[in-house]
Amino acid sequence: MRMQTMTVPATRRRWTLTRGEVRQLLIGLMFISPWLVGFFVFLAYPIYYSFRLSFTRYTGFGIPQYIGLDNFRDMWHDSLFWTSLINTLYYTGLAIPIGMIVAMSLAIAMNQNVPEIPFYRAAFYLPSLLPLFAVSFIFVALLDPRRGIVSRVITWFGGPTIDWFGDPATAKLALVILAQFGAGQMALIYLAGLKAIPLTLYDAAAIDGAGTWRKFINITLPLMTPVILYNVILGISAGLQVFTQAYIITNGGPANSTTFYVFYLYNNAFRYSQFGYASAMAWVLFLITFVLAILIFRLASRRVHYDLT
Amino acid sequence: MWSSFTGDVELGALNKIADGFNASQSDFTTKIVQVASTNESDVTKLMTAVRGGVGPDVYLFNRPFAIQRAADGVLQDLSSYVDVDELASHYVEFAFNECRWQNGLFALPFDTDARALYYRKDILTEVGADLTLFDPANGPITLAKLEEISALIDKKDDNGKYTRMGFVPWYAQGWHYTWGYNFGGSFYSADECKVTATDPGVKAGFQYMYDRASALGASNVQEFLSAVNRPDAPPAQNPFYTGSIAMMISGDWEIAGLANYAPDVEYGITYIPVPKEGDKQTSWSAGFSVVMPQGAKSPDGAVAFMKYMAGPEGQRVYTTDTSHLPTSKELLADDSLFTEQHTFFRDMLAYSRALPTTPVGAQLWDELTSAQEKVTLNNATPDDVLPEVDNRVQQQLQRYC
Repeated sequence: MRMQTMTVPATRRRWTLTRGEVRQLLIGLMFISPWLVGFFVFLAYPIYYSFRLSFTRYTGFGIPQYIGLDNFRDMWHDSLFWTSLINTLYYTGLAIPIGMIVAMSLAIAMNQNVPEIPFYRAAFYLPSLLPLFAVSFIFVALLDPRRGIVSRVITWFGGPTIDWFGDPATAKLALVILAQFGAGQMALIYLAGLKAIPLTLYDAAAIDGAGTWRKFINITLPLMTPVILYNVILGISAGLQVFTQAYIITNGGPANSTTFYVFYLYNNAFRYSQFGYASAMAWVLFLITFVLAILIFRLASRRVHYDLT
Repeated sequence: MWSSFTGDVELGALNKIADGFNASQSDFTTKIVQVASTNESDVTKLMTAVRGGVGPDVYLFNRPFAIQRAADGVLQDLSSYVDVDELASHYVEFAFNECRWQNGLFALPFDTDARALYYRKDILTEVGADLTLFDPANGPITLAKLEEISALIDKKDDNGKYTRMGFVPWYAQGWHYTWGYNFGGSFYSADECKVTATDPGVKAGFQYMYDRASALGASNVQEFLSAVNRPDAPPAQNPFYTGSIAMMISGDWEIAGLANYAPDVEYGITYIPVPKEGDKQTSWSAGFSVVMPQGAKSPDGAVAFMKYMAGPEGQRVYTTDTSHLPTSKELLADDSLFTEQHTFFRDMLAYSRALPTTPVGAQLWDELTSAQEKVTLNNATPDDVLPEVDNRVQQQLQRYC
């Protein structure tokens, strides 16, 4: 509103550019053209194309046939769509808090003041460098119900043998645990957050008699909230797109218990040749992610402290 | 030509065929390119390559799912390149029919197969089972009799976990189609353009799996299978080869597998067990075909190679090297190509059934597989899951009716 009352010089209002400005604009655009081309070819056009396809029936070949909102209507009645959505939300709901605790613990461990810290940092981060594809196979061996080391430890302590990937009740949980191999990535971001907290705050708290736990709850955690928020948003986005593990290890089973949203979307597109339906699913996923992100921002606005001083 | 095969035996045979073709003429040269995929019906690489204009000239395709891709528009109609009626006379009927969609011909049949019961003679002898029951000359054994013997073989550890099992109906090739057909079921009616997963025979097949799972302990069996049949295990660790499972349903290719990875195992092959005394034995056959995707750079070369590979020259190499069955009538009549065990499978083709020829074949397979998982885990009954299969696949089928 205030903008309207401001007096803006007349020259600033014009919509035409001088020749010199056009030249400069073109040079500027040319400088960023690698990015622009990449953006339009690999992002903007596919996004626009998938939006158009979501209103069509299309096998990937021939001419897409316009069918209005039928894909969205079908989705509403598609039981496997709901199963995949619930599976994905369940996975994300578990993976985020568990991931947060694991990554935060790693970050705190990486932040210790000991001489061998470079070694520890490398060691903690190393699993995140392995491709998920390779980790998946390692994990199958680790979680083998009979010979796997995880199962052996559990049974050694008197626990039951768990058929991690064969039982619909534990398959998702196993994939959540697998996701922790990538926790190093988040831990690094937490570590940067931890480093930004002024040591003076801890010194002052120590003088006031605060112990380790109190310092963590009253200083570390509140000042880490922006980083936590960032990681939660990233986690939601990654969690809702979980695919590789289900594709490699479980193929969506047993009994559809790991048929995640993107896995089902992929099947629709590439196995059942329903690119229209798959595009519609992609847009619904985008909306879900968008709404969740906004919701988190709203909820977090009062709890996130951006002020370090 | 692209192939998703990863096994040394199969790939070796394909390379031999390609070499043979290259030597047989001087106009065209072909090369086998391996494009692995996790699933037979996953053709992502083919679809994206063809769309990108860099697809292969020839692709080795799982035949029961070929017409789905023909209906999608990925494959080229071969009718204008070959004399369809003349070609048809050279192939077994079901295999050739699997290549036709509407009035076109979209593939040439390559190999085929059949399914039977494999049993370990050493383990059956150890538990005192009468091996003559398994002699094909005495007809198929009944499921009840097989279960009795299987129970003698089952072993559990102190915690009640299976360490050895006689027969797990849904292990290896014990698919929905195996048991559905075995109980006289039919999955699809082409005349009515209708998916019929709720057919009484199909339901009986699923009920059989459900009942066996509940008798053996569904989760206990699943845990056993997870332990002995890991997805990352090398072929030599096959539980039948190691003796963890004494009887299984499998196909003719297992003869080559056993010869390569477990040459010392004493085994026999007989008919798939039947529901009751006097029932006729059943089996089902699938196999591969060669197709020409849209945008093939050298269609004439592609057709020449396809005719060579799917013709007697190519099929002869594949039959002898991989112990799969040919679809060429000429080769099937040639006794010198088949060992005694292999002949047993060849003779099954007289009654073996094909998978439904439908443009929603992959989806029907996936839906049946997920229904089977629920049933064998005793998570749901056949009555719960089969109507769902009908509904879901019919919805997709409708647009082709």
